[in-house]
Amino acid sequence: MIFRLLRLILIAIVAVAAQSSPGAMAQAIGQGSTQLIADQTKAIQDLTAKTDGLENKLSAPDQDDAGLVDIRLQLEDISRAALNSALAFRSRLNDINARIQVLGPPPAQGQPPEPAIVANERAALTAEKAEINAVVAGAQNLSIRISGLVDRIATLRSQLFRSVLTKRYELSDALSPQAFSDAHDQFTGLYKAVASWLTFALKFKFQAMLAATLMALALAAVLLIGGRRLFGRIFEADASVEEPSYLSRLSVAFWSTLLPTVALGAFLASTVFFFNYYNVLRGDIGEFLNALLSVVAVAFCVNRLTNAALEPRLPNWRLIPVATGPARWLVRLATAMAVVLGFNYFLSVVNEKMGSPLSLTIARSFVATVIVGVILILMGVLKPFRARDGSWRPWPAWLRFIAIGLGVSTIAAALLGYIGLALFVSIQVVVTGTTLITAYIGFLSARAIGEEGGFADTSVGRWLSANSSYEDTALDQLGLVVSIAINLMIVLVFLPLILLMWGFQPGDIETWAFKLATGVTIGSVTISVLGILTGIVVFAIGYFLTRWFQGWLDGSVMARGKVDTGVRNSIRLAVGYAGVALAALVGISAAGIDLSNLALVAGALSLGIGFGLQNVVSNFVSGLILLAERPFKVGDWIVAGDISGTVRKISVRATEIETFQRQSVILPNSNLINNAVGNWTHRNKLGRVDIKVGVAYGSDVKRVHAILLGIARAHPMVLKNPEPFVLFANFGPAALEFEIRVFVADVLNGSIVQNDIRFAIFDIFEDEHIEIPSAPRAVVESKKHEPWPIDDDKIEAEFAERERLEAEAAAEQTRLAKTKRRGRKPDPD
Amino acid sequence: MWKSVVAAIAFLALGGSAFAASAVNKDAQTRTLIVTEGGGKTELALAAGETVEFCPNGCFVTLPNGDLEALTGSETVEISGGVARIK
Repeated sequence: MIFRLLRLILIAIVAVAAQSSPGAMAQAIGQGSTQLIADQTKAIQDLTAKTDGLENKLSAPDQDDAGLVDIRLQLEDISRAALNSALAFRSRLNDINARIQVLGPPPAQGQPPEPAIVANERAALTAEKAEINAVVAGAQNLSIRISGLVDRIATLRSQLFRSVLTKRYELSDALSPQAFSDAHDQFTGLYKAVASWLTFALKFKFQAMLAATLMALALAAVLLIGGRRLFGRIFEADASVEEPSYLSRLSVAFWSTLLPTVALGAFLASTVFFFNYYNVLRGDIGEFLNALLSVVAVAFCVNRLTNAALEPRLPNWRLIPVATGPARWLVRLATAMAVVLGFNYFLSVVNEKMGSPLSLTIARSFVATVIVGVILILMGVLKPFRARDGSWRPWPAWLRFIAIGLGVSTIAAALLGYIGLALFVSIQVVVTGTTLITAYIGFLSARAIGEEGGFADTSVGRWLSANSSYEDTALDQLGLVVSIAINLMIVLVFLPLILLMWGFQPGDIETWAFKLATGVTIGSVTISVLGILTGIVVFAIGYFLTRWFQGWLDGSVMARGKVDTGVRNSIRLAVGYAGVALAALVGISAAGIDLSNLALVAGALSLGIGFGLQNVVSNFVSGLILLAERPFKVGDWIVAGDISGTVRKISVRATEIETFQRQSVILPNSNLINNAVGNWTHRNKLGRVDIKVGVAYGSDVKRVHAILLGIARAHPMVLKNPEPFVLFANFGPAALEFEIRVFVADVLNGSIVQNDIRFAIFDIFEDEHIEIPSAPRAVVESKKHEPWPIDDDKIEAEFAERERLEAEAAAEQTRLAKTKRRGRKPDPD
Repeated sequence: MWKSVVAAIAFLALGGSAFAASAVNKDAQTRTLIVTEGGGKTELALAAGETVEFCPNGCFVTLPNGDLEALTGSETVEISGGVARIK
């Protein structure tokens, strides 16, 4: 027993000793692996701890929506971090797997045992792998847990939202005399806080406050005055204009809302900034000031917008054709609504900071929502339009019912105690309404710019047409692009704004935008906006680079290098096609489209394409051959079949030839490759011109030969070498036939040479009395006109005689017509 | 007609847009991956020669040899001879 135990111990010792050296080897292969495992284990433990903290926070009873979204964003970050720490093991795991594969499987039962060193290394690697897998499994569990938590947050948020909307408060508590005394206490508290801060500020920080205010004022003044200087004349309603165009009204409305609002916003933001900078604000005053200033900004924006759209003072500039009195009322009501809600918001901040009782919050919200409801109803029942007969007409029915319905439901909800719902509805009406109206005005102006001639009427369009060489059509197309861009911008700016108003948190929108950008998966199709846009941008850049390179190569390098025009053209075209193809490929790759998939599609379609596009492909290949082989170049006179003319353009599918009658013939390239093409100007422009002439039998042929040769040699355009040659061609049936053959340097001048030589032959033959016989083929008898008579008396007599005969004939015909039936007309032909 | 051909090619090409991990089974037998994504585990059975797109936004995957690996969503998992390799 003891011996067996001793043996066992001995074996164990030997095994440990044997293991120690290959173990060290394995360590040497993956040095730092232990360190890596320790690091990542620690990282994942930290992440788990963070998740625990967030989960505890989540379980806390009073979480608001923004807090929940914040937790969710943090959780998503943790999940990504966990994935990354798991990723750190990949290369080590690959190494281990590769090594295990090299070592091979352990020997099966009955096989001879492998050396201990191999078995030990395998065991060490497997152990390390198991350790790594355990750490990765930890990361995986964390990610599963986080996804559960994210789901829980979504449920909690929808519950929270529902409970805000459906929670019912007891109005009797809120509207009791107790509430009034609470309110009084609150105001006293607020007054004291503000007063003590003011005394403090005036006493100790007066100069700083003055400086801060002045600086903010100066900034706002710079913005406002600068903006007016820049845009003032364009974006200001001019009372003297009788009928401003719809576009100018829209742009005035849009910009006269935007610019002052931005200026005011800048002023308010800089005020807060400088006050903070000089440490003027103390305690809760900063919060109060923030709330108050944002209320002022919103009320101002609503007022500007309604003023711009309704223009109570300038009926010509009104966007909506309401009458002047109602316009004034509408502006007042809208502003009042914004002020009431803003004031309510300000008070809510005060209440929160001063820890006021719930009843006060309810009372304040109740009053505000009832006022908004009443204003909505008033707006709905207002009769804004004036008919021709002077009677007042209401809004269109749908608009009226929506306004009154919203007003009534707000008041009803408030009266029943659903203050949360009422407040939600009334805030949505003001904020969403304002945003929607602004966006709608933007859409309308985009449409007006996109209309034909719309862009040319704008100040930018006028400036462009005065200062650039753009044609009207180009301006029109530019207008279309601008209008699309404006539409896109409006969607990009206002959609997130409206979503924010509807209670979505910035985190939500961020997540959506991220998802949309990196890819939305629908079934097995993944669409990524960012990828597609990147592809398009890369392609556009590649395209313009190609065009630029092409121009540079052609204009600078090859033109200076005195390269032949044909070669220049070929190189330019080849570079252009190659560049565009390259840009397309790079663009497709940048868009994240796998080219191997494209190859698959191409393979599947290749048979169909082979049959269907046979001609196109054959022309394309022919075009490439034409570019490489260059049987003719642009400007050559070629004859292909029936077509003879100058080559104008060689493109990849077809070649454009202009005949001498100035007809453009588009000849497919395969015709030019498969059939014989004659080129008059291939190597040089040398060409032979033949002129036939016949002389009468009996003439002195030697003399004629000498005269013809003399004429040919005398012409300045006729080349001396090759020499002109006169051929005694034939003993013809009617004449002895000669042929003058001369070579000219430019075959395009052949007609001129022919003309000159023929005239010369005619003149000299006449001088030398050499007859050019003509063989009459037919005798044409022409009727000679009677000469004009001179005897006036005779004409008069003849005329009288003719008149008499005609009158008699007419009388005879009428007599016959009465007795006989009229005969049928002959057939048209 | 041209437009529709171009649109069809573009659509088919988009189907293979490389914004997801893909798994290729080059073996003659069916292989199974266990994918952990969004809080749930799913078994992804790959028939012989099949290619599957999965895991667009990062996931964990259990390979046929029992290894657990993390994917960011741009890798290709290639299974041949029962061994998975991540590229």
